[in-house]
Amino acid sequence: MRTAFYLLPLAMAPLFANDFWLVQILGRALSLGVIALSLTFLAAYLGVVSFAQTTMAGVAGYTVAYFGPNTVDVGYELPFYVILPLAMIMATLSGALIGLIARRSQGIYAIMITLAIAVAFFYFTRQNYSVFNGWTGFSGLRAPDIAGINLRAPVPFYLLCLGVAALSLVLVNGFIKSPLGLTIQAVRDEPKRVLAIGIPTTPVIVAAYAFAGFIAGSGGILNIWLQERISSFSVGLGPIVDILVIAVIGGLKHPIGAFIGAIAFVLLDTFAVDFIDRERFNTLIGLVLLAIIMGAPDGLHGLAKSWLSRSAKRPAKIKT
Amino acid sequence: MPVSYDHKAANALEIQGVGRRFGGFWAVKDVSLTVRPGERRAVLGPNGAGKTTLFNVLTGDLVTSAGTIRMDGADVTQMPMHKRIKGGLRRTYQHAHLFNGLTVRDSLFLSVCGVAGGWQRFMPLRLNDGAVAKAETLAQLSGLSAELDREVANLSHGQRRQLEIGMALAENPKMLLLDEPAAGLSPSERPRLAELLLSLPKHITIILIEHDMDIALKTSDSVSVLHNGQLLAEGTPENIMSNEAVHKVYMGGAHGH
Repeated sequence: MRTAFYLLPLAMAPLFANDFWLVQILGRALSLGVIALSLTFLAAYLGVVSFAQTTMAGVAGYTVAYFGPNTVDVGYELPFYVILPLAMIMATLSGALIGLIARRSQGIYAIMITLAIAVAFFYFTRQNYSVFNGWTGFSGLRAPDIAGINLRAPVPFYLLCLGVAALSLVLVNGFIKSPLGLTIQAVRDEPKRVLAIGIPTTPVIVAAYAFAGFIAGSGGILNIWLQERISSFSVGLGPIVDILVIAVIGGLKHPIGAFIGAIAFVLLDTFAVDFIDRERFNTLIGLVLLAIIMGAPDGLHGLAKSWLSRSAKRPAKIKT
Repeated sequence: MPVSYDHKAANALEIQGVGRRFGGFWAVKDVSLTVRPGERRAVLGPNGAGKTTLFNVLTGDLVTSAGTIRMDGADVTQMPMHKRIKGGLRRTYQHAHLFNGLTVRDSLFLSVCGVAGGWQRFMPLRLNDGAVAKAETLAQLSGLSAELDREVANLSHGQRRQLEIGMALAENPKMLLLDEPAAGLSPSERPRLAELLLSLPKHITIILIEHDMDIALKTSDSVSVLHNGQLLAEGTPENIMSNEAVHKVYMGGAHGH
């Protein structure tokens, strides 16, 4: 019901929005939103803030770049129906591996260790030429034709982004109600007690990170098809912080927050140049973030929710 | 290898020279205990006697610093906690460690899955799932049937204690370690707890830490008294009640409850 409320106007967007809005605003926001969703998932249900979500997305992106058509003559070309599952598997495995490394860390330590992994991956992609093509990375990455539909065209690409975003939301909402999803939330609340009911915590944490890797990977693929390139800059500190900012602006408590944050972020990112210098964008986004953290710690989603419940609960005038 | 009859196998719990050290301080030192299957054993002792530390060592919450622990004749000293649980051991905590973000139903459901298996499933549950039915039975047993869909964070203190016990009863435990199950309960709630403990199947071995003498002595057939991390006395409730040394350190010295 509530999903339809968000989905309907978005599904009808191709009827009134031009290509720029479809691809550069909404398509971009949805693909960033999917990556941010993987962060929100870990934050809300495992209770861990991970800085490595861009890395997991990047693993999927690099897999598609290396095994798909590109203009830099690195890698092999495989058919898309092999590449896409392979990219998702690689992203999921990267999530599992990062989870295995970070499994004992919480709070600030989880942030530190995932950030360390992400930065190490960034430098690795920059220095390795045989697989990651170093500084230059890959360009000329093109979305394939699937079932006769050209996914590079604005409307199909936008609908693909919307479909993936909706599907990943449905996936997260279903997963958290599954036995494994409940166990993940139990680990968030009381890891000790999880052991005391006979469940080892390590596989639970690794599974949560792997699932986050799967979600991040699907966003990562959309993102490189949109950008048509990937390089070390795509997995560097800038994009890492962008994803965190998106998740925090939207609200870390509910999966939908990731998409609300992504739309706000992309709108700011695109239109702020009309009012301020390009170099001032970080100042602006910093101020917005500060305002959110101080004024609405649960993000825009939390803010909207409390407004809605306040106006619903406003008592009728009492007759005396 | 010749098969020899292991007479120790008959004991539900047998610990030998068990100790736990924190830095230079032995919270539990050289404790040896034997508990028969189905026995109801109370562990008494003043605050800081090492009762909860002993429990933590028995369950695997803490690593043993010295000695050996055998359950059902098997050496579990090095076994990780979740495997001991699978082997039939359960515990409750003095300060309820519960899943505050989950409902009562989900907490009990996970307790069933933890032992019976199935927590790894990542597809949403079917409504006729066997573990859910078992969770509802546990709720009935622990008096929480009306609270199944409530979030654990919203339960009253007494209900949290009931949930602790309900979770510990999942999937036919062999041995229950109850750490002050009556702590913080109102006088009217206490008899109900004693009743629940007495109604548990007789084959379950229960080891109980309890400050409420009424509950401790009514529900147990033998008592071990700890003092400064060491075993001070052991015997029937009547023996312990009349034991001079116990009176000195415990009965006489216990204030504020």
